[in-house]
Amino acid sequence: MNTFEALADGFHVALTPGHMGWSFVGVLLGTAVGVLPGIGPALTVSLLLPVTFSLEPTAAFIMFAGIYYGAMYGGSTTSILLNTPGESATIVTAIEGHQMAKAGRGGAALATAAIGSFVAGSLATLGLAFLAPPLAKVSLALGPAEYFALILIAFATVTSVLGTSRVRGMVSLMLGLTMGLVGLDPRGGQARLTFGIPYLFDGLDPVIVAVGLFAVGETFFLASRAGHASDEMVPLRGSLWMTRAEWARSWKPWLRGAALGFPLGALPAGGSELPTFLSYGLERRLARYPQEFGRGAIEGVAGPEAANNAAAAGTLVPLLTLGLPTSATAAILLAAFQQYGLRPGPLLFSQAPELVWGVIASLFIGNALLLVLNLPLAGLWIRVLTVPRPLLYGAILVLASVGAYAVHASLLDLVLLGAMGLIGFALRVGDFPVAPVIIGLLLGPMAEQQFVRAVAVASDSFMQAFARPVSATLLAGAVLLMVWPLLTAGMGRMAKRSPAVRRQAE
Amino acid sequence: MAPAAPGGGWDQTARVMQQVLLSTGLAASVQVTNAPGAAGTIGLARFVNADAGNGNALLVTGLVMVSGIASNATPVTLVDVTPIARLAGEFEVIVVPAGSPYRSLADLIAAFKSDPRGVAWGGGSSGGTDEILVRLLADATGVPRNGVNYVAYSGGGQALAAVLGAHVTAAVSGLGEFAAQLESGELRALAISAPTRIATPGTPPDHGIDRPAGDIGSSIPTFREQGIDVVLMNWRGVVAPPGISIRERQALESLIERMSSSQAWKDALVRNGWTDLGLAGEPFARFIADETRRVAPLVTARDTSSRDWFELAVLTGLALSVATAIRQRVSQRRSTAPRPVTPPMNVVALLLTGAGMTVEAVLLRPAGFVLASAAMFTVTARAFGSRTLLRDAVVGILLAAAVVVAFTRGLGLSLPAGPFG
Repeated sequence: MNTFEALADGFHVALTPGHMGWSFVGVLLGTAVGVLPGIGPALTVSLLLPVTFSLEPTAAFIMFAGIYYGAMYGGSTTSILLNTPGESATIVTAIEGHQMAKAGRGGAALATAAIGSFVAGSLATLGLAFLAPPLAKVSLALGPAEYFALILIAFATVTSVLGTSRVRGMVSLMLGLTMGLVGLDPRGGQARLTFGIPYLFDGLDPVIVAVGLFAVGETFFLASRAGHASDEMVPLRGSLWMTRAEWARSWKPWLRGAALGFPLGALPAGGSELPTFLSYGLERRLARYPQEFGRGAIEGVAGPEAANNAAAAGTLVPLLTLGLPTSATAAILLAAFQQYGLRPGPLLFSQAPELVWGVIASLFIGNALLLVLNLPLAGLWIRVLTVPRPLLYGAILVLASVGAYAVHASLLDLVLLGAMGLIGFALRVGDFPVAPVIIGLLLGPMAEQQFVRAVAVASDSFMQAFARPVSATLLAGAVLLMVWPLLTAGMGRMAKRSPAVRRQAE
Repeated sequence: MAPAAPGGGWDQTARVMQQVLLSTGLAASVQVTNAPGAAGTIGLARFVNADAGNGNALLVTGLVMVSGIASNATPVTLVDVTPIARLAGEFEVIVVPAGSPYRSLADLIAAFKSDPRGVAWGGGSSGGTDEILVRLLADATGVPRNGVNYVAYSGGGQALAAVLGAHVTAAVSGLGEFAAQLESGELRALAISAPTRIATPGTPPDHGIDRPAGDIGSSIPTFREQGIDVVLMNWRGVVAPPGISIRERQALESLIERMSSSQAWKDALVRNGWTDLGLAGEPFARFIADETRRVAPLVTARDTSSRDWFELAVLTGLALSVATAIRQRVSQRRSTAPRPVTPPMNVVALLLTGAGMTVEAVLLRPAGFVLASAAMFTVTARAFGSRTLLRDAVVGILLAAAVVVAFTRGLGLSLPAGPFG
């Protein structure tokens, strides 16, 4: 049976009214829960798992696929409207998305996120259907040395676009890296910067840090300027939907986001944060209006949103073909498979073809339903921005604190949220960019961990670890990306070293 | 109380217990609270302090907590609680890729002995069951403890990927994690840490799905069969708070005993792939003491001598970049270039907002989420220039109440109820 026939059979399974109904319920529930602050897709799926117990396996997984996609999208909504990302993969969305919302283009941001998710999700699902087994094989060949090099590339692409001042960007990045140190070192021995507080042993939760820096920090900042009406929020300017120009600026980032997200999501240690950062950096480089970045550039929403949805489909590649859960959500899906006595892995496609292809087909359907559900809802969502400012910011603080507190039931999470709010406020007052802090906090520990692993796997030999063809090439690329702007800047400075130009540059 | 985040093994145990206790009618109401962090020791400390003398509270515990207590040297330990029962768990297997030159455990051990650093062991996070097994193995075969090259991965999936891609020599995890790859022949199991051979747990009556003949679990030889005296299980159990009466203790023990003999519990074991490891009362207390004695020296004797160059590099980088930024700022100040005019800061509003958040944190536990949040909401609205105090308070209460309904009723996450609880 070839892939087309199998997929057709899959649609046959998924398109029955009953299964369509479950898919719809899943998308609806997933969106509803995903919109709640602090609740990301992994938590949504695990909390809704019991709902599916009473269903037969195919219906259960079809509903699951809907919940997964719904939760992914729900998180983007809060990132854009309230600046409170629900999980690490939508932190990047908040950077540009919330700026768009403040400038009256919240509807367009939500739309480009929804359509981008749909486009990228569909492309990635096609990739899952046709490329899964070979892709899974290739991805296994990549070891920690290659991941380390990949993360360095992400660092290089993002840090080279840090903002107006390289020095201030560097301070923010270093601050993020320092926050990333908190916890136990990856060799498991030493506690770093924990000051003997057990709460800090597991490190700082990046989602709480992001919500604190972004949402709480901004609330503090705006409070400090209350009475000077200079930064008014505009609920809507121009059309509710995307304009022709916004379409033109969105479609390429969608495709590039999908191209980045799917393969990286399929890598066992790729995850969904890495592609969103890479996509953001890439779009900023390629953008025709790079000066808009930081003030609400639609490319900065379209690309990362497409990338994280494609990555979500990508994580199903190792899950279905190898039985490898590579993200928290995938691990919960794996547990769900096991509840039904199924073992995802090399034998699943032959043991339960109807179920696997039914699930793949339902990913297409879930994606489409998501679009149908959310485009009309976008109009409703942006009404949130018409709430008077005193009430809106009061509500943002309430939602941010419930999100930080509810998951771990820890008062220290609230303290962390407030502390990060203060840091975010200080950064803003001093005109330091906030995004690099998050980049450092997320990517720093990842990079260190992969580096430590790479050296350990190669029996402590640095050369043996990085002299592999793929890792060496990637590393060289990363170094080039990092050095290139410095070189060009250095040459430029030497060429025109007159005080007038220097003052202008600063 | 589950001392882990929702979704983890301890949380699952707690939620399965909740399900079984409710469905069998053994308990009228069961609430799961999560207190994650530091290998469960944060939950343990909170449990011992906040629930002392409470005869209606149970904490999920397990091998990883024993190890976490030892490696973090926490002041509160399992000596401070009242052991109730061990419930279930998983045994560990050692696997190599199908193409590996090591055909048997003896081959692998021989290589391990001759060049300990040359064998890279992949497994779950550091201090967990997988690392404990490798260290027990090193002890049993005479390899020095600091010679072990253990590569910690987050979550079973990544360790599995590493061994499938032959990036590590061998991988260690629960049997369930590797079962699919063992069935398909991509991995070869060299040994299992059970006392005797066991069938693969979690193979329920199938849903019309073909299974290859023969059970993979029972074909894996134990360490003991191969002359190495290592038995290890990733066990999970429950303990009660300190200072409960003998009667309360007996009531809890009989409750757990009735739960674990119910059909619903047995079904849940199969569904989750857990092996029944029931052990109650005094023997369980002795078991915890034995495990502590065995595990503590393994996790505290880790190599911590090497320099932490990464921390050093990051802190130096931070210091350098801050210094550069300050220098730049100073030179700008000296220059005569016009500076942008910043509006004066509204300090009152800023302090009010900060006070709002402080109020939330202080009032949350005593007054409950609704009142604390409504207070924060009202104060923040005031800071942003609202003059309708009463309206704000009402809106705040409604908003907070809606959040509470969504989180507690809809999702089963608990928020402090305060006087309304």
